[in-house]
Amino acid sequence: MKRTSWVHLYKILIRTSIRSRMQYKFNFILASILAALIQISEFLMVALVLHRFGAIKGWSLHEIGYLFAIMTLSKTLYRTFGNEVHHLEKYLVGGELDQLLTRPMPVLLALLPQNFRIMIGEVLQGGFILCWSLAGMMHSGQIGWTVIPLSLLIILTGAIILFSIGLATATLGFWTTRIEELQTITEDAARTAAQYPLTLYPKWMSGILLTVIPVGFVNYIPSLYLLRGQGGAWVLAAIAAVAVLCLAASLRFWKYGITKYQSTGS
Amino acid sequence: MLYLTLASKAYARNLQYRGAHMVHNLASAMFGYMYACLWIGIGADHSLGEYGTQGMVSYIAFTQSSLWISGFLTNGLGIPLTVRTGQIALDLMRPVHLFTHLMAREWGQIAYQFVYKSIPIYLLFSIVFSLQWPTEASTLLFAALGLAGASYLSICMNYIIGVTAIWTTESSWLHWGNHALMNLLAGFFIPLEWLPEWLERLAWLSPYPFLLYVPTRIYLGFEDGSLLWGTLLWCALMTLICLVITRVMRRKVEVQGG
Repeated sequence: MKRTSWVHLYKILIRTSIRSRMQYKFNFILASILAALIQISEFLMVALVLHRFGAIKGWSLHEIGYLFAIMTLSKTLYRTFGNEVHHLEKYLVGGELDQLLTRPMPVLLALLPQNFRIMIGEVLQGGFILCWSLAGMMHSGQIGWTVIPLSLLIILTGAIILFSIGLATATLGFWTTRIEELQTITEDAARTAAQYPLTLYPKWMSGILLTVIPVGFVNYIPSLYLLRGQGGAWVLAAIAAVAVLCLAASLRFWKYGITKYQSTGS
Repeated sequence: MLYLTLASKAYARNLQYRGAHMVHNLASAMFGYMYACLWIGIGADHSLGEYGTQGMVSYIAFTQSSLWISGFLTNGLGIPLTVRTGQIALDLMRPVHLFTHLMAREWGQIAYQFVYKSIPIYLLFSIVFSLQWPTEASTLLFAALGLAGASYLSICMNYIIGVTAIWTTESSWLHWGNHALMNLLAGFFIPLEWLPEWLERLAWLSPYPFLLYVPTRIYLGFEDGSLLWGTLLWCALMTLICLVITRVMRRKVEVQGG
Protein backbone atom coordinates (compact mmCIF):
# COMPACT_ATOMS: atom_id res chain seq x y z
CA MET A 1 0.00 0.00 0.00
CA LYS A 2 1.17 3.52 -0.76
CA ARG A 3 2.08 5.87 2.06
CA THR A 4 -0.75 8.28 1.20
CA SER A 5 -3.35 5.56 1.49
CA TRP A 6 -2.03 4.64 4.95
CA VAL A 7 -2.58 8.25 6.02
CA HIS A 8 -6.04 8.21 4.49
CA LEU A 9 -6.89 5.01 6.34
CA TYR A 10 -5.56 6.44 9.59
CA LYS A 11 -7.82 9.49 9.17
CA ILE A 12 -10.89 7.33 8.65
CA LEU A 13 -10.13 5.22 11.70
CA ILE A 14 -9.67 8.30 13.87
CA ARG A 15 -12.91 9.83 12.62
CA THR A 16 -14.78 6.67 13.57
CA SER A 17 -13.17 6.66 16.98
CA ILE A 18 -14.17 10.28 17.65
CA ARG A 19 -17.71 9.60 16.55
CA SER A 20 -18.07 6.69 18.96
CA ARG A 21 -16.70 8.78 21.81
CA MET A 22 -19.14 11.59 21.16
CA GLN A 23 -22.10 9.28 21.75
CA TYR A 24 -21.99 10.22 25.43
CA LYS A 25 -21.71 13.98 25.19
CA PHE A 26 -22.61 14.87 28.76
CA ASN A 27 -20.10 12.39 30.15
CA PHE A 28 -17.46 13.71 27.82
CA ILE A 29 -17.93 17.33 28.90
CA LEU A 30 -18.06 16.49 32.60
CA ALA A 31 -14.99 14.28 32.39
CA SER A 32 -13.09 17.07 30.60
CA ILE A 33 -13.95 19.66 33.23
CA LEU A 34 -12.97 17.33 36.05
CA ALA A 35 -9.73 16.36 34.39
CA ALA A 36 -8.82 20.04 34.30
CA LEU A 37 -9.84 20.43 37.94
CA ILE A 38 -7.66 17.55 39.11
CA GLN A 39 -4.70 18.86 37.18
CA ILE A 40 -5.18 22.31 38.58
CA SER A 41 -5.42 20.98 42.14
CA GLU A 42 -2.08 19.25 41.61
CA PHE A 43 -0.47 22.48 40.43
CA LEU A 44 -2.15 24.48 43.19
CA MET A 45 -0.41 22.26 45.72
CA VAL A 46 2.96 23.51 44.51
CA ALA A 47 1.74 27.03 43.79
CA LEU A 48 0.61 27.37 47.41
CA VAL A 49 4.03 26.30 48.65
CA LEU A 50 5.79 28.72 46.30
CA HIS A 51 3.36 31.46 47.28
CA ARG A 52 4.52 31.01 50.84
CA PHE A 53 8.23 30.35 50.42
CA GLY A 54 9.09 32.00 47.11
CA ALA A 55 11.50 30.24 44.78
CA ILE A 56 12.57 26.60 45.07
CA LYS A 57 16.32 26.32 44.47
CA GLY A 58 16.18 29.52 42.43
CA TRP A 59 13.23 28.43 40.28
CA SER A 60 10.35 30.90 40.39
CA LEU A 61 6.66 30.02 40.27
CA HIS A 62 6.50 31.10 36.62
CA GLU A 63 9.41 28.86 35.71
CA ILE A 64 7.98 25.85 37.54
CA GLY A 65 4.61 26.60 35.96
CA TYR A 66 6.35 26.44 32.59
CA LEU A 67 7.93 23.05 33.39
CA PHE A 68 4.54 21.81 34.55
CA ALA A 69 2.64 23.11 31.51
CA ILE A 70 5.09 21.77 28.92
CA MET A 71 4.94 18.33 30.55
CA THR A 72 1.13 18.38 30.66
CA LEU A 73 0.78 19.45 27.04
CA SER A 74 3.37 16.95 25.77
CA LYS A 75 1.63 14.18 27.67
CA THR A 76 -1.72 15.33 26.29
CA LEU A 77 -0.42 15.22 22.74
CA TYR A 78 1.03 11.74 23.29
CA ARG A 79 -2.15 10.41 24.88
CA THR A 80 -4.41 11.98 22.27
CA PHE A 81 -2.78 9.93 19.54
CA GLY A 82 -1.15 7.10 21.45
CA ASN A 83 -3.58 6.34 24.24
CA GLU A 84 -3.88 2.70 23.31
CA VAL A 85 -0.15 2.16 23.68
CA HIS A 86 -0.64 3.12 27.31
CA HIS A 87 -3.51 0.65 27.57
CA LEU A 88 -1.85 -2.25 25.77
CA GLU A 89 -2.31 -4.50 28.81
CA LYS A 90 -6.02 -4.66 28.06
CA TYR A 91 -5.26 -6.06 24.60
CA LEU A 92 -2.64 -8.48 25.89
CA VAL A 93 -4.76 -9.91 28.69
CA GLY A 94 -8.01 -10.05 26.77
CA GLY A 95 -6.40 -11.45 23.63
CA GLU A 96 -7.77 -8.56 21.56
CA LEU A 97 -4.38 -8.05 20.00
CA ASP A 98 -4.98 -11.20 17.94
CA GLN A 99 -7.68 -9.40 15.98
CA LEU A 100 -5.39 -6.51 15.20
CA LEU A 101 -2.62 -8.85 14.10
CA THR A 102 -4.83 -10.31 11.41
CA ARG A 103 -5.49 -6.95 9.80
CA PRO A 104 -3.56 -6.19 6.63
CA MET A 105 -1.76 -3.24 8.14
CA PRO A 106 1.02 -2.58 10.69
CA VAL A 107 -0.18 -3.41 14.22
CA LEU A 108 0.66 0.03 15.58
CA LEU A 109 -1.36 1.71 12.84
CA ALA A 110 -4.32 -0.49 13.69
CA LEU A 111 -3.84 -0.03 17.44
CA LEU A 112 -3.42 3.74 17.74
CA PRO A 113 -6.74 4.92 16.26
CA GLN A 114 -8.74 2.40 18.33
CA ASN A 115 -9.46 5.03 20.88
CA PHE A 116 -8.59 8.55 19.81
CA ARG A 117 -8.85 10.65 22.95
CA ILE A 118 -9.84 14.29 22.92
CA MET A 119 -8.43 15.70 26.13
CA ILE A 120 -9.94 19.17 26.29
CA GLY A 121 -9.53 19.39 30.07
CA GLU A 122 -5.78 18.87 29.91
CA VAL A 123 -5.36 21.21 26.95
CA LEU A 124 -7.26 23.95 28.77
CA GLN A 125 -5.32 23.51 31.99
CA GLY A 126 -1.90 23.13 30.35
CA GLY A 127 -2.60 25.96 27.93
CA PHE A 128 -3.74 28.25 30.71
CA ILE A 129 -0.68 27.64 32.89
CA LEU A 130 1.62 27.95 29.88
CA CYS A 131 0.14 31.31 28.82
CA TRP A 132 0.19 32.56 32.38
CA SER A 133 3.80 31.62 33.03
CA LEU A 134 4.97 32.91 29.63
CA ALA A 135 3.16 36.20 30.16
CA GLY A 136 4.69 36.54 33.62
CA MET A 137 8.23 35.94 32.38
CA MET A 138 7.79 38.19 29.33
CA HIS A 139 6.47 40.95 31.54
CA SER A 140 9.57 40.80 33.72
CA GLY A 141 11.76 40.79 30.60
CA GLN A 142 13.18 37.33 31.33
CA ILE A 143 12.23 35.97 27.92
CA GLY A 144 11.34 37.31 24.45
CA TRP A 145 8.52 36.35 22.12
CA THR A 146 10.65 33.77 20.28
CA VAL A 147 10.05 31.44 23.23
CA ILE A 148 6.42 31.00 22.11
CA PRO A 149 7.04 29.16 18.80
CA LEU A 150 9.98 27.30 20.36
CA SER A 151 7.72 26.15 23.19
CA LEU A 152 5.29 24.67 20.68
CA LEU A 153 8.21 22.86 19.09
CA ILE A 154 9.42 21.35 22.36
CA ILE A 155 5.87 20.24 23.20
CA LEU A 156 6.04 18.22 20.00
CA THR A 157 9.49 16.73 20.67
CA GLY A 158 8.37 16.08 24.27
CA ALA A 159 5.33 14.17 23.04
CA ILE A 160 7.59 12.03 20.84
CA ILE A 161 9.86 11.26 23.80
CA LEU A 162 6.91 10.38 26.06
CA PHE A 163 5.40 8.22 23.33
CA SER A 164 8.72 6.37 22.98
CA ILE A 165 8.92 5.74 26.72
CA GLY A 166 5.31 4.54 26.67
CA LEU A 167 5.90 2.28 23.68
CA ALA A 168 9.06 0.75 25.17
CA THR A 169 7.24 0.05 28.45
CA ALA A 170 4.26 -1.44 26.62
CA THR A 171 6.59 -3.65 24.58
CA LEU A 172 7.86 -5.23 27.79
CA GLY A 173 4.29 -6.50 28.11
CA PHE A 174 5.01 -9.05 25.38
CA TRP A 175 7.17 -10.85 27.93
CA THR A 176 5.40 -9.94 31.19
CA THR A 177 1.74 -9.53 30.03
CA ARG A 178 1.07 -7.22 33.01
CA ILE A 179 2.52 -3.75 32.59
CA GLU A 180 0.33 -1.37 34.55
CA GLU A 181 2.50 -1.40 37.66
CA LEU A 182 5.59 -0.74 35.57
CA GLN A 183 3.86 2.10 33.74
CA THR A 184 3.20 3.80 37.06
CA ILE A 185 6.97 4.05 37.45
CA THR A 186 8.17 4.77 33.92
CA GLU A 187 5.29 7.02 32.89
CA ASP A 188 3.48 8.51 35.90
CA ALA A 189 6.21 8.78 38.53
CA ALA A 190 8.91 9.84 36.07
CA ARG A 191 6.68 12.45 34.49
CA THR A 192 5.61 13.86 37.85
CA ALA A 193 9.25 14.06 38.92
CA ALA A 194 10.15 16.08 35.83
CA GLN A 195 7.46 18.63 36.60
CA TYR A 196 9.98 20.10 39.02
CA PRO A 197 13.57 21.22 38.42
CA LEU A 198 15.78 18.13 38.33
CA THR A 199 18.37 19.87 40.52
CA LEU A 200 16.07 19.11 43.46
CA TYR A 201 16.91 15.44 43.24
CA PRO A 202 20.06 13.55 44.11
CA LYS A 203 22.48 12.99 41.22
CA TRP A 204 21.60 9.31 40.70
CA MET A 205 17.94 10.18 40.31
CA SER A 206 18.33 13.10 37.92
CA GLY A 207 20.78 10.87 36.03
CA ILE A 208 18.07 8.23 35.58
CA LEU A 209 15.58 10.88 34.46
CA LEU A 210 18.00 11.97 31.74
CA THR A 211 19.17 8.57 30.50
CA VAL A 212 17.13 5.48 31.37
CA ILE A 213 13.77 7.29 31.34
CA PRO A 214 14.67 10.49 29.50
CA VAL A 215 11.75 12.65 30.69
CA GLY A 216 14.20 15.43 31.57
CA PHE A 217 14.50 16.21 27.85
CA VAL A 218 10.78 16.88 27.59
CA ASN A 219 10.80 20.08 29.64
CA TYR A 220 13.77 20.56 31.96
CA ILE A 221 16.68 20.68 29.51
CA PRO A 222 14.79 22.88 26.99
CA SER A 223 13.84 25.23 29.84
CA LEU A 224 17.45 25.65 30.87
CA TYR A 225 18.10 27.13 27.44
CA LEU A 226 14.78 28.88 26.73
CA LEU A 227 14.22 30.47 30.13
CA ARG A 228 17.74 30.81 31.50
CA GLY A 229 19.86 31.08 28.40
CA GLN A 230 22.13 28.16 29.35
CA GLY A 231 23.81 26.59 26.31
CA GLY A 232 23.05 27.70 22.76
CA ALA A 233 20.52 27.01 20.03
CA TRP A 234 22.26 23.64 19.58
CA VAL A 235 20.38 22.50 22.71
CA LEU A 236 17.15 22.44 20.72
CA ALA A 237 18.79 20.51 17.89
CA ALA A 238 20.14 18.04 20.44
CA ILE A 239 16.67 17.59 21.93
CA ALA A 240 15.19 16.93 18.51
CA ALA A 241 17.94 14.35 17.96
CA VAL A 242 17.14 12.71 21.32
CA ALA A 243 13.47 12.53 20.34
CA VAL A 244 14.22 10.91 16.97
CA LEU A 245 16.66 8.50 18.59
CA CYS A 246 14.14 7.50 21.28
CA LEU A 247 11.43 6.96 18.69
CA ALA A 248 13.64 4.87 16.43
CA ALA A 249 14.87 2.74 19.34
CA SER A 250 11.41 2.16 20.76
CA LEU A 251 9.93 1.29 17.35
CA ARG A 252 12.71 -1.19 16.83
CA PHE A 253 12.13 -2.70 20.26
CA TRP A 254 8.39 -2.90 19.52
CA LYS A 255 9.03 -4.73 16.26
CA TYR A 256 11.25 -7.22 18.04
CA GLY A 257 8.79 -7.57 20.91
CA ILE A 258 5.87 -8.36 18.67
CA THR A 259 7.69 -11.38 17.27
CA LYS A 260 7.69 -12.72 20.86
CA TYR A 261 3.95 -12.24 21.27
CA GLN A 262 2.06 -15.25 22.50
CA SER A 263 -1.68 -14.99 22.59
CA THR A 264 -3.20 -15.37 26.03
CA GLY A 265 -6.31 -16.90 24.58
CA SER A 266 -9.25 -16.24 26.90
CA MET B 1 -18.87 -13.24 62.46
CA LEU B 2 -20.24 -12.66 58.97
CA TYR B 3 -18.50 -9.31 58.84
CA LEU B 4 -15.23 -10.85 59.89
CA THR B 5 -15.54 -13.44 57.13
CA LEU B 6 -16.28 -10.72 54.56
CA ALA B 7 -13.25 -8.76 55.70
CA SER B 8 -10.90 -11.73 55.73
CA LYS B 9 -12.06 -12.78 52.26
CA ALA B 10 -11.28 -9.31 50.92
CA TYR B 11 -7.89 -9.52 52.60
CA ALA B 12 -7.17 -12.97 51.20
CA ARG B 13 -8.22 -12.03 47.66
CA ASN B 14 -5.52 -9.39 47.56
CA LEU B 15 -2.81 -11.79 48.64
CA GLN B 16 -2.85 -13.18 45.11
CA TYR B 17 -1.36 -9.97 43.79
CA ARG B 18 1.38 -9.39 46.35
CA GLY B 19 4.12 -9.35 43.72
CA ALA B 20 2.46 -6.72 41.56
CA HIS B 21 1.66 -4.67 44.65
CA MET B 22 5.30 -4.64 45.67
CA VAL B 23 6.22 -3.09 42.30
CA HIS B 24 3.45 -0.60 42.84
CA ASN B 25 4.83 0.17 46.30
CA LEU B 26 8.07 1.12 44.66
CA ALA B 27 6.22 3.64 42.50
CA SER B 28 4.34 5.00 45.52
CA ALA B 29 7.60 5.30 47.44
CA MET B 30 9.08 7.17 44.48
CA PHE B 31 6.28 9.73 44.65
CA GLY B 32 6.91 10.21 48.37
CA TYR B 33 10.64 10.47 47.78
CA MET B 34 10.04 13.14 45.15
CA TYR B 35 7.82 15.20 47.44
CA ALA B 36 10.41 14.86 50.21
CA CYS B 37 13.11 16.11 47.80
CA LEU B 38 10.94 19.14 47.09
CA TRP B 39 10.79 19.99 50.78
CA ILE B 40 14.50 19.37 51.19
CA GLY B 41 15.01 21.83 48.32
CA ILE B 42 12.76 24.42 49.94
CA GLY B 43 14.33 23.80 53.34
CA ALA B 44 17.77 24.61 51.90
CA ASP B 45 16.80 28.30 51.55
CA HIS B 46 14.01 28.73 54.10
CA SER B 47 13.35 27.72 57.66
CA LEU B 48 10.41 25.34 57.77
CA GLY B 49 8.78 26.51 60.99
CA GLU B 50 8.31 24.06 63.82
CA TYR B 51 8.94 21.12 61.49
CA GLY B 52 12.38 21.92 60.14
CA THR B 53 13.58 20.07 57.04
CA GLN B 54 13.84 16.67 58.74
CA GLY B 55 10.38 17.21 60.25
CA MET B 56 8.86 17.91 56.84
CA VAL B 57 10.51 14.79 55.43
CA SER B 58 8.95 12.78 58.28
CA TYR B 59 5.65 14.51 57.57
CA ILE B 60 5.69 13.51 53.88
CA ALA B 61 6.83 9.96 54.69
CA PHE B 62 3.88 9.52 57.05
CA THR B 63 1.21 11.05 54.80
CA GLN B 64 2.42 9.10 51.77
CA SER B 65 2.26 5.81 53.70
CA SER B 66 -1.12 6.70 55.25
CA LEU B 67 -2.64 7.38 51.83
CA TRP B 68 -3.07 3.63 51.42
CA ILE B 69 -5.40 3.37 54.37
CA SER B 70 -7.24 6.66 54.27
CA GLY B 71 -7.03 7.77 50.66
CA PHE B 72 -6.77 4.96 48.13
CA LEU B 73 -9.93 2.99 48.86
CA THR B 74 -12.07 1.06 46.41
CA ASN B 75 -13.71 3.63 44.14
CA GLY B 76 -17.21 4.19 45.56
CA LEU B 77 -16.76 0.93 47.53
CA GLY B 78 -17.50 -0.84 44.25
CA ILE B 79 -21.12 0.36 44.10
CA PRO B 80 -20.86 2.05 40.65
CA LEU B 81 -19.83 -1.28 39.16
CA THR B 82 -22.68 -3.17 40.81
CA VAL B 83 -25.11 -0.54 39.55
CA ARG B 84 -23.86 -1.02 36.04
CA THR B 85 -24.15 -4.81 36.18
CA GLY B 86 -27.44 -4.82 38.07
CA GLN B 87 -25.87 -6.68 41.00
CA ILE B 88 -26.94 -3.80 43.26
CA ALA B 89 -30.55 -5.07 43.28
CA LEU B 90 -29.39 -8.38 44.73
CA ASP B 91 -27.09 -6.66 47.20
CA LEU B 92 -29.98 -4.58 48.52
CA MET B 93 -32.12 -7.69 48.95
CA ARG B 94 -29.63 -9.38 51.24
CA PRO B 95 -30.52 -9.63 54.91
CA VAL B 96 -27.37 -7.61 55.67
CA HIS B 97 -27.38 -3.83 55.56
CA LEU B 98 -25.62 -2.63 52.41
CA PHE B 99 -23.47 -0.14 54.30
CA THR B 100 -22.14 -2.57 56.90
CA HIS B 101 -21.73 -5.27 54.28
CA LEU B 102 -19.58 -3.11 52.02
CA MET B 103 -17.79 -1.61 54.99
CA ALA B 104 -16.74 -5.03 56.29
CA ARG B 105 -15.32 -5.88 52.89
CA GLU B 106 -13.47 -2.58 52.72
CA TRP B 107 -11.93 -3.09 56.17
CA GLY B 108 -10.38 -6.28 54.80
CA GLN B 109 -8.99 -4.31 51.89
CA ILE B 110 -7.66 -1.62 54.24
CA ALA B 111 -6.06 -4.22 56.51
CA TYR B 112 -4.29 -5.70 53.49
CA GLN B 113 -3.11 -2.31 52.29
CA PHE B 114 -1.88 -1.45 55.75
CA VAL B 115 0.23 -4.60 56.01
CA TYR B 116 1.45 -4.84 52.43
CA LYS B 117 1.60 -1.20 51.39
CA SER B 118 1.73 1.33 54.23
CA ILE B 119 4.18 -0.60 56.41
CA PRO B 120 6.70 -1.55 53.68
CA ILE B 121 6.65 1.99 52.28
CA TYR B 122 7.13 3.54 55.71
CA LEU B 123 9.94 1.11 56.55
CA LEU B 124 11.67 2.00 53.30
CA PHE B 125 11.36 5.72 54.07
CA SER B 126 12.59 5.07 57.62
CA ILE B 127 15.80 3.62 56.24
CA VAL B 128 16.29 6.08 53.37
CA PHE B 129 15.60 9.20 55.44
CA SER B 130 16.71 7.84 58.88
CA LEU B 131 13.34 8.71 60.38
CA GLN B 132 12.83 8.89 64.13
CA TRP B 133 10.00 6.79 65.53
CA PRO B 134 7.84 8.05 68.41
CA THR B 135 9.05 6.87 71.79
CA GLU B 136 5.84 7.32 73.78
CA ALA B 137 3.24 4.57 73.63
CA SER B 138 0.43 7.12 73.94
CA THR B 139 1.59 8.89 70.77
CA LEU B 140 1.42 5.65 68.84
CA LEU B 141 -1.94 4.78 70.33
CA PHE B 142 -3.50 8.15 69.49
CA ALA B 143 -1.99 8.10 66.00
CA ALA B 144 -3.43 4.61 65.45
CA LEU B 145 -6.84 5.81 66.62
CA GLY B 146 -6.57 8.81 64.32
CA LEU B 147 -5.73 6.55 61.39
CA ALA B 148 -8.55 4.12 62.16
CA GLY B 149 -10.95 7.08 62.31
CA ALA B 150 -9.52 8.36 59.03
CA SER B 151 -10.13 4.98 57.36
CA TYR B 152 -13.68 4.93 58.65
CA LEU B 153 -14.32 8.47 57.42
CA SER B 154 -12.92 7.56 54.05
CA ILE B 155 -15.14 4.47 53.87
CA CYS B 156 -18.18 6.67 54.55
CA MET B 157 -17.13 9.24 51.96
CA ASN B 158 -16.60 6.53 49.34
CA TYR B 159 -19.93 4.98 50.21
CA ILE B 160 -21.71 8.28 49.66
CA ILE B 161 -19.87 8.78 46.37
CA GLY B 162 -20.72 5.23 45.32
CA VAL B 163 -24.39 5.57 46.14
CA THR B 164 -24.75 8.61 43.88
CA ALA B 165 -24.07 6.21 40.98
CA ILE B 166 -27.68 5.13 41.35
CA TRP B 167 -28.81 8.52 40.17
CA THR B 168 -26.04 9.59 37.88
CA THR B 169 -24.87 6.18 36.56
CA GLU B 170 -21.44 7.75 36.44
CA SER B 171 -19.93 8.71 39.76
CA SER B 172 -16.29 8.64 38.78
CA TRP B 173 -16.34 12.42 38.47
CA LEU B 174 -17.24 12.69 42.17
CA HIS B 175 -14.46 10.25 42.94
CA TRP B 176 -11.96 12.46 41.13
CA GLY B 177 -13.35 15.61 42.70
CA ASN B 178 -12.88 14.00 46.10
CA HIS B 179 -9.34 13.12 45.15
CA ALA B 180 -8.61 16.72 44.14
CA LEU B 181 -10.01 18.09 47.38
CA MET B 182 -7.95 15.61 49.32
CA ASN B 183 -4.80 16.88 47.60
CA LEU B 184 -5.55 20.38 48.73
CA LEU B 185 -7.41 20.18 52.02
CA ALA B 186 -6.18 17.04 53.76
CA GLY B 187 -2.65 18.36 54.29
CA PHE B 188 -1.20 15.67 52.08
CA PHE B 189 1.71 17.74 50.78
CA ILE B 190 1.41 21.04 52.66
CA PRO B 191 0.62 21.28 56.36
CA LEU B 192 -2.69 23.12 56.69
CA GLU B 193 -1.24 26.05 58.67
CA TRP B 194 0.72 27.06 55.56
CA LEU B 195 -2.34 27.39 53.37
CA PRO B 196 -3.75 30.86 52.75
CA GLU B 197 -5.91 31.72 55.76
CA TRP B 198 -9.29 31.47 54.01
CA LEU B 199 -8.41 28.07 52.57
CA GLU B 200 -7.23 26.80 55.92
CA ARG B 201 -10.50 27.88 57.49
CA LEU B 202 -12.43 26.20 54.71
CA ALA B 203 -10.44 23.00 55.19
CA TRP B 204 -11.31 22.84 58.89
CA LEU B 205 -15.00 23.05 58.04
CA SER B 206 -14.62 19.82 56.06
CA PRO B 207 -13.69 16.29 57.17
CA TYR B 208 -10.54 16.32 55.00
CA PRO B 209 -7.97 17.38 57.65
CA PHE B 210 -8.95 14.34 59.72
CA LEU B 211 -7.96 12.01 56.91
CA LEU B 212 -4.23 12.79 56.89
CA TYR B 213 -3.24 15.97 58.68
CA VAL B 214 -4.56 15.10 62.14
CA PRO B 215 -3.08 11.56 62.38
CA THR B 216 0.23 12.87 61.02
CA ARG B 217 0.44 15.74 63.49
CA ILE B 218 -0.32 13.38 66.35
CA TYR B 219 2.23 10.84 65.16
CA LEU B 220 4.93 13.51 64.86
CA GLY B 221 4.22 14.61 68.43
CA PHE B 222 2.88 18.11 67.64
CA GLU B 223 -0.58 17.40 69.04
CA ASP B 224 -2.05 15.48 71.92
CA GLY B 225 -5.15 13.38 71.33
CA SER B 226 -7.66 16.24 71.67
CA LEU B 227 -8.13 16.64 67.92
CA LEU B 228 -9.52 13.10 67.89
CA TRP B 229 -12.81 14.51 69.18
CA GLY B 230 -13.16 16.11 65.77
CA THR B 231 -12.55 12.75 64.12
CA LEU B 232 -15.22 11.19 66.32
CA LEU B 233 -17.70 13.94 65.55
CA TRP B 234 -17.21 13.56 61.80
CA CYS B 235 -17.45 9.77 62.05
CA ALA B 236 -20.82 10.09 63.80
CA LEU B 237 -22.09 12.63 61.28
CA MET B 238 -20.94 10.60 58.30
CA THR B 239 -22.50 7.41 59.68
CA LEU B 240 -25.79 9.23 59.96
CA ILE B 241 -25.56 10.46 56.37
CA CYS B 242 -24.71 6.95 55.15
CA LEU B 243 -27.70 5.43 56.94
CA VAL B 244 -30.11 8.07 55.68
CA ILE B 245 -28.83 7.85 52.13
CA THR B 246 -29.23 4.04 52.13
CA ARG B 247 -32.82 4.43 53.24
CA VAL B 248 -33.52 6.83 50.37
CA MET B 249 -31.74 4.55 47.96
CA ARG B 250 -33.79 1.51 48.92
CA ARG B 251 -36.87 3.34 47.70
CA LYS B 252 -35.42 4.35 44.39
CA VAL B 253 -33.36 1.78 42.59
CA GLU B 254 -33.07 1.83 38.86
CA VAL B 255 -31.21 -1.18 37.65
CA GLN B 256 -29.22 -0.78 34.49
CA GLY B 257 -29.33 -4.37 33.50
CA GLY B 258 -26.35 -6.30 32.23
